[in-house]
Amino acid sequence: MITIFLTFLKIGFLGFGGGYAMLSLIFQESERLGMTVQQFADLNALDGLIPGPIAINSATYLGQLYGGFWTAVAATLAVCVPSFIFVPLFLHYEEKNNDNWVLTAILDGIKPASVGLILAVALSLMLLTVFGINDIGAWSKASLDWTSLLVLGVVFFLDSKYHVNPVWLILLAGVIGGVVYYL
Amino acid sequence: MHKNWILFKVYLLAGTFTFSGGMAMLPVIERELVGKYHLIERDQLYEYATLSQTFPGVIALNNACFVGKKIGGTVGLIAASLGAISPAFVLMLAATIAYQMIPQEGVVLSIMAAIRAASAAFLFSAAYSLARFNLKDAPTIILAVACFLLTVLNLANAPTLIVIAGIVGVVLSRVKQVKRA
Repeated sequence: MITIFLTFLKIGFLGFGGGYAMLSLIFQESERLGMTVQQFADLNALDGLIPGPIAINSATYLGQLYGGFWTAVAATLAVCVPSFIFVPLFLHYEEKNNDNWVLTAILDGIKPASVGLILAVALSLMLLTVFGINDIGAWSKASLDWTSLLVLGVVFFLDSKYHVNPVWLILLAGVIGGVVYYL
Repeated sequence: MHKNWILFKVYLLAGTFTFSGGMAMLPVIERELVGKYHLIERDQLYEYATLSQTFPGVIALNNACFVGKKIGGTVGLIAASLGAISPAFVLMLAATIAYQMIPQEGVVLSIMAAIRAASAAFLFSAAYSLARFNLKDAPTIILAVACFLLTVLNLANAPTLIVIAGIVGVVLSRVKQVKRA
């Protein structure tokens, strides 16, 4: 429980730039807690179904999965700590504060970095779902799963081009998975 | 109605009906706190919204903390925060418990495999839209490619890369300032 609390404290403090920028942190840090790539993929799907910030959803999910209710509470509170500290501090020193350019500059560096980081997470998920391997080093053992490749392609297209509601896309994927099983 | 109670209620409403958090909840907040209850000026709300995005942590919660603190002091901050967090917490907890009870075999396994592929697609799509808005020049593209390669090749972890990227951002911004001066 303490490990999970500290993990999400770290994620909160390093979590500049919102949900997707935080997701790569959550992915790597929770792998150390024992989370599998499958569980992470499921978390990301649940994010699409459940309202609320990604970091809060992730903290609740991992807490519940690895310790139950109170660990979920602890993880959720941990990821909230930075907001409780920095916002009141900033408002307290508002008049004197002219250093806002530093925060903006930090963010200008982290935003592009998060593109690369999130792409790496996406690749991990693709290696698992489409090729059935856990990392790129196991390439020789890869076997192509046509259904997953099709789902990935179609969902990516509908999401990036037409911004279809993720709830429908997850439903669509589920139906395809179900139909393929009985073919 | 007491203003702190209003804060709790408005953020609870916004938190329940906005997916993936962040700025998606802003229109609801604006309609309720600016339009209906007149507790905050529109400009002030948007200034806080911009600030929320530059602060570490959860953006929607940063926003709740700024607005809550301004309107109702520390109690207001707690009220707005509780409102912003609790829908996500309660719904996700219920979803996770349900998820733990799903038997992972037979047709369920096949359905889950397809949903995981969809999940991968969402991340590619997120990377794509983040790239479109944030990769504007050579330094940003290099930064993105470097972070991708270093992660895939297992040469650096995300916390390290984020700290380095933050420092690079500050240095680049300083260089631009010097050039302009």
